[in-house]
Amino acid sequence: MKFDDLLKLPQYSLPYAEKERILLDGLNELDEHHRRNCPEYNRLVSVLWPDYRKAETLADLPYLAVGLFKSHRLCSIPKENIFKTLTSSGTTGQAVSQIFLDVETAQRQSAALSRIMTHTLGPNRLPMILVESSALLKDRARFSARAAGVLGMMTFGRDHFYALDEKMELDEKGLQAFLEKVNGKPFFMFGFTFMIWQYLYQRIADRSVDLSQGIMVHGGGWKKLQELAVSNDEFKRKLREKTGLSRIYNFYGLVEQVGSIYVEGENGYLFAPNYADVIVRDPLTWEPAPMGTPGVLQVLSLLPLSYPGHSVLTEDLGIIHGIDDAAGGRFGKYFSVLGRIPKAELRGCSDVHASQVSG
Amino acid sequence: MKVQQLVPRAEEVELDDILAGLRDISGGTLSPLAPEILEFCANFSRALFKDAEAKKFPELQALAFWMRKSELERLRQEFDRLKTKNTLPVPRGLVFHVPPANVDTIFMYSWIMSVLVGNRNILRISPRAAQQTTIICKVFNECLEAAGDVMRRNTVMIRYGHEQEITAAISAVADVRVIWGGDASVNNIRAVRIPPHCKELAFPDRYSLSVARTARYLALDEAKRKEVAAQFYNDTYWFDQMACSSPRLLIWCGEREESSKASAMFLQDLHEEVQRRGYTLDASGSMNKFTFLSRAILDQPVASTRRVDNQLTVAQLENIRHLDRDHCGGGFLFQYYAEGIDVLGQVVARKDQTLTYFGFEPAEMAALAKLLNGRGIDRIVPMGKALTFNRYWDGYDLMAEMIRHVYVE
Repeated sequence: MKFDDLLKLPQYSLPYAEKERILLDGLNELDEHHRRNCPEYNRLVSVLWPDYRKAETLADLPYLAVGLFKSHRLCSIPKENIFKTLTSSGTTGQAVSQIFLDVETAQRQSAALSRIMTHTLGPNRLPMILVESSALLKDRARFSARAAGVLGMMTFGRDHFYALDEKMELDEKGLQAFLEKVNGKPFFMFGFTFMIWQYLYQRIADRSVDLSQGIMVHGGGWKKLQELAVSNDEFKRKLREKTGLSRIYNFYGLVEQVGSIYVEGENGYLFAPNYADVIVRDPLTWEPAPMGTPGVLQVLSLLPLSYPGHSVLTEDLGIIHGIDDAAGGRFGKYFSVLGRIPKAELRGCSDVHASQVSG
Repeated sequence: MKVQQLVPRAEEVELDDILAGLRDISGGTLSPLAPEILEFCANFSRALFKDAEAKKFPELQALAFWMRKSELERLRQEFDRLKTKNTLPVPRGLVFHVPPANVDTIFMYSWIMSVLVGNRNILRISPRAAQQTTIICKVFNECLEAAGDVMRRNTVMIRYGHEQEITAAISAVADVRVIWGGDASVNNIRAVRIPPHCKELAFPDRYSLSVARTARYLALDEAKRKEVAAQFYNDTYWFDQMACSSPRLLIWCGEREESSKASAMFLQDLHEEVQRRGYTLDASGSMNKFTFLSRAILDQPVASTRRVDNQLTVAQLENIRHLDRDHCGGGFLFQYYAEGIDVLGQVVARKDQTLTYFGFEPAEMAALAKLLNGRGIDRIVPMGKALTFNRYWDGYDLMAEMIRHVYVE
């Protein structure tokens, strides 16, 4: 089965054994493609896995440490074919990931994202609230992953309303006007988890704002909310309590694999879409960890043609809960993300360790 | 300004009062190697040996061993040799020590070298310091209770972060400032002014390596080989391979095939030793190491790698002329096969500190040092002694650095 055929299938409809076979063929092809076209990838595979020829199972596939996209230019296309360069939104002074896209990869990303989102949102484009500042998209020259994420999501809604002003203040009047206009019909809300909590929820928690017809999709990680001791459950419970919003879906994704996002299902777990999969590895051996055991997440995706990002070892911890047996009838693996690998302090004479992975 | 004092008593104290106390010498000062200094150090060593908590930490046992009475006596004799017919060694005055946060005993070695020759001391303890530091301060304070008045007022340890005003206030009255903690710390603290007469000792980031003579290694019996592995383990893993004197590159000197054979045997033994000692890396160290390894493959002439297991990763280098000295620690070894020890002539740079060796004679090492003629390498010691502190460190004679010579004719 080709990628295009895979797109046509309903999401989460493939039993895992079948999906694994399809992914294995596709990823073996991608691995060969990147080995031919990206000298860095080829060197890494030939030194780290000298006897490697072809994967028999998904877990056999070589994987790249996500940090390499920060330190090296990893690209499988000639320079002149680069259509867009994505960068992660790192804080000042931190190295950022650089992801090189050609037209085809960008198209695959948006086609894939579209199939995933329509599964959650339904086939019709809904009026949309962006929990974002309208200023974000003004500076097109600096195309951060956050802006790319917002732009990508905008296409799944209509009549867009930016809920925040340039100072990240909630536009309450605008919100009221938006809600009056949708008049009890469903609408779509998108934003980054922390921003939704800080700039939307915190402002309206003590008002009676009715968001019960909303479908919220949010992502970007839990790091800041963990610091505030707000868990996913708490996030959902509070929003539901105060605004009536009950359809809240977290998603997990990396700038290194835009388009291949893992959205929460009705059971609160993240699901791998048709063209992607996750493996959890034991950081002590790098062998695949048994189901139910936490470890480092490796993400696989059929989308990346222009850069070797089809098999990436992340710096996030996760846990796989099951395969093919989720309530709600979805097939494939379902898992949760436990957050970033906690940074340990190595001992040593030097107070700053130059080569420690940043980020 | 209030600061958290740890020694002589754990309490909040006004910094000005601490500094005034250290500068007030009306109660007398200690002369170099004075009996009360030696007595205090010997008492501290005994108390540390006996302390139930300290027993859990091999580095505290090593510190106690290093400060034992016979060693102090040896240092006293060495000190006597610093005197000449016309010169008399005297203390420099007040020494400000800024030790690193992560090696929990360095501050004590820094302190001993200074106090032995009669200096007064103030030490900055990082808020990140681990349990070992707490134990040392506790034992130190207990021993102070039995000490004389001058000894009790000799040393203050305070805990603070990176508050420049505290560093500046202490620096302003220091006669010697000692900065450990690598390039970043040295640069940060160096930006704070010291009095014109004050001298500064700085310990920046360093790199260390190891050489083994293949033929001698292959001639060892199994028991001896295991010993070598155990010594290499101690040198390397004690401080997560992040101590500046822990080896990060191992060079085998000999015929290539033979070296490859020796390396395989050695790594097998080292792996067993790592397992036997139960050394483990956490997820963060593991991830860091995998990323570092990948970057090394892309940026350096790495011919092959061996991930023996997660605790021991080896990257074989094809040449070491442009050795990159960046390192991730946690059991990562670069390896190189050379014909002979002459290869070091091409490699050694200013940043290189400790060379540990196996299978060479001290005379060969002395010849090597002469050949290098100061280009790099400050210590050449047998395998197993990489972390053994002595008065000669980073090219300094610490004892001599802590004194002034008064010329009398």
